[in-house]
Amino acid sequence: MTLELSRLHTSYGQFECGPIDLKVDEEVLAVLGPSGSGKTTLLSLIAGIAEPDSGSILLDGRELVGRPLEDRHVGMVFQEGALFPHMTARENIEYAAATGEHVADLTSALELEGVLHRKPASLSGGERQRVALARTLATDPDALLLDEPLSSLDAPIRKRLRDELYSLFESLDIPILYVTHDQRTATALGDRMAIVRDGTVEQVGSPSAVLTRPTSRFVARFTGNENLFEGTVTGRTDDGVTVRFGDVQFRTAVPEANTFAVSDVETSAVPEAHTSVTVCIHPSQVEVRPPTAADGDRTGNTVTGRVARWLNEGSGYRVEIDVDEGLTFTANVRPPTFERLGIDVGSELQVLIPPASIHLIPDRTGR
Amino acid sequence: MATHSNSTQTGTATVGRDWLSVALVLGGVLLLYYVVPMLSLFLSAPSGDIVARMTDPTVVDSAITSLLSASISTVLATLFGLPLAYWLARTDGLVTKVVLAIAVLPLVLPPVVSGIVLLTVFGPGSALGAAAVAAGFPLTRSLAGVVLAQTFVASPFVVVTAKAAFESVDRTLEHASRSLGKSRVTTARRVTLPLAGPGVLAGVTLAFARAMGEFGATMMMAYYPRTMPVQIWVAFIELGLDNAYPVAILLVVIAAVALLVLHTVASNPWA
Repeated sequence: MTLELSRLHTSYGQFECGPIDLKVDEEVLAVLGPSGSGKTTLLSLIAGIAEPDSGSILLDGRELVGRPLEDRHVGMVFQEGALFPHMTARENIEYAAATGEHVADLTSALELEGVLHRKPASLSGGERQRVALARTLATDPDALLLDEPLSSLDAPIRKRLRDELYSLFESLDIPILYVTHDQRTATALGDRMAIVRDGTVEQVGSPSAVLTRPTSRFVARFTGNENLFEGTVTGRTDDGVTVRFGDVQFRTAVPEANTFAVSDVETSAVPEAHTSVTVCIHPSQVEVRPPTAADGDRTGNTVTGRVARWLNEGSGYRVEIDVDEGLTFTANVRPPTFERLGIDVGSELQVLIPPASIHLIPDRTGR
Repeated sequence: MATHSNSTQTGTATVGRDWLSVALVLGGVLLLYYVVPMLSLFLSAPSGDIVARMTDPTVVDSAITSLLSASISTVLATLFGLPLAYWLARTDGLVTKVVLAIAVLPLVLPPVVSGIVLLTVFGPGSALGAAAVAAGFPLTRSLAGVVLAQTFVASPFVVVTAKAAFESVDRTLEHASRSLGKSRVTTARRVTLPLAGPGVLAGVTLAFARAMGEFGATMMMAYYPRTMPVQIWVAFIELGLDNAYPVAILLVVIAAVALLVLHTVASNPWA
């Protein structure tokens, strides 16, 4: 089963969406984008709630454009669940189901036996979404669309349901589009990730490729990549190039084979000397060490700086380090490292960046 | 209310500044204006006499005519009004606005004018009216005439109230239903209509109440068979006020029942 969007385009009022080309196999494609970027519009087009101006949507070779909602066999889970308030949980699921046997399977899989007699108003947010999911799956859809189903839930319930969704998605052999503005959910659930901006798809790839090797400044910024520097390629080395930004000169290396395979081939090509590039280093790839650390590892790029600011983000610390040349690096630091180094504002640190962690974005796409 | 403010109210002359009290006093005047005539009606008529006169054949006939015609009118108004209300609720734009204005027109038109308007189409002088008379099914001075008048005047209540009820149903629920493979008709029947039910019922109740009380247009279209309002008029003109009481009381009771329905099973659009 494959869902294939080609040259899909729509517009209403000032908003232009498309052209969008996307191919989703039996996998989870997490669609990530800021609000108003057209994520929900994309789902509406596939589900049939809105009709495109042009383009085609093929599901298993079947053209969906022009077909009414009810003939598309596309399951959609809405943001707040969209359960029918006058029916109990059971009636909601049975409304959709062809056979009772199916209902029983789904309710036990989603642990809904205890709440079947209740109406949506008396269900918790998490229960509501599980009922909505069961209702949608009861129709045996050929594709599954989810519109931010976890966004209205509290953090602990969201995390639990996200884990449940992960196993559930594993068991489904249909294309799944999961729309979210939450990067964690997107990386956790998506086999691949699509970044949407202003109604167009900016980048598609594995979550790790999109996160560490963004093809544009927008994708880099939107996925939390704060280390973006204007730089110039100064020369080639055996396994990469040297790049200068500010007064810093760093060596890069072509990423390892596995990362290379899934990332965009075009951007992985080694740039010519003297070209302008955006140097992009994900904060999680920035290592910090004591300033006096012996530089045993000669392959790494090191630079020394002082901590300008730090933030406790719960699972780790975000540390901003001003290096002498007026550049600021942001590093994600694990709590043990943070405590071992006794990091505070003003403390001196050595910043180490492995050559393979430096990603260069050619300037022609720089937006 | 704390004792503090109580003491302020009773202890000093600040009562006049309590605007809620002022509002109640002013509103109370109006309230009495509603209640006193109503009670007066029941008190004016000697009860034994009333019961006797309610069994008078002309009164019974008028009650039957009214209940029958109002029921038929309500069914017609619902049958044709609900689809129009649904369409109005689910479309937008200039056409929708124009259609809504047309649907509301009978509400603001003086009923007597409605009667005249209807006579130009269904009256014996019109082509349609003449043809109907020739076919032995006159559209004036008949139950059909009463129904035509009542439907014209009362059906906008169904359209306007049901439209608001349909609009209150989240469209996402309809999309959800259809994405589950259910047709538009099934969706309307099993999702939209049940959720809009109380509001729709309110519209139907209001239409029935309006049809029961319809006088102006009915007078023009069908003086016979007499409905209750027409019977009241005839009794009043021919025999005096006293003779109009029994039917008037019947109509008050029917209005009270309609109000009760609005407050219990239906969602009162004005509550």
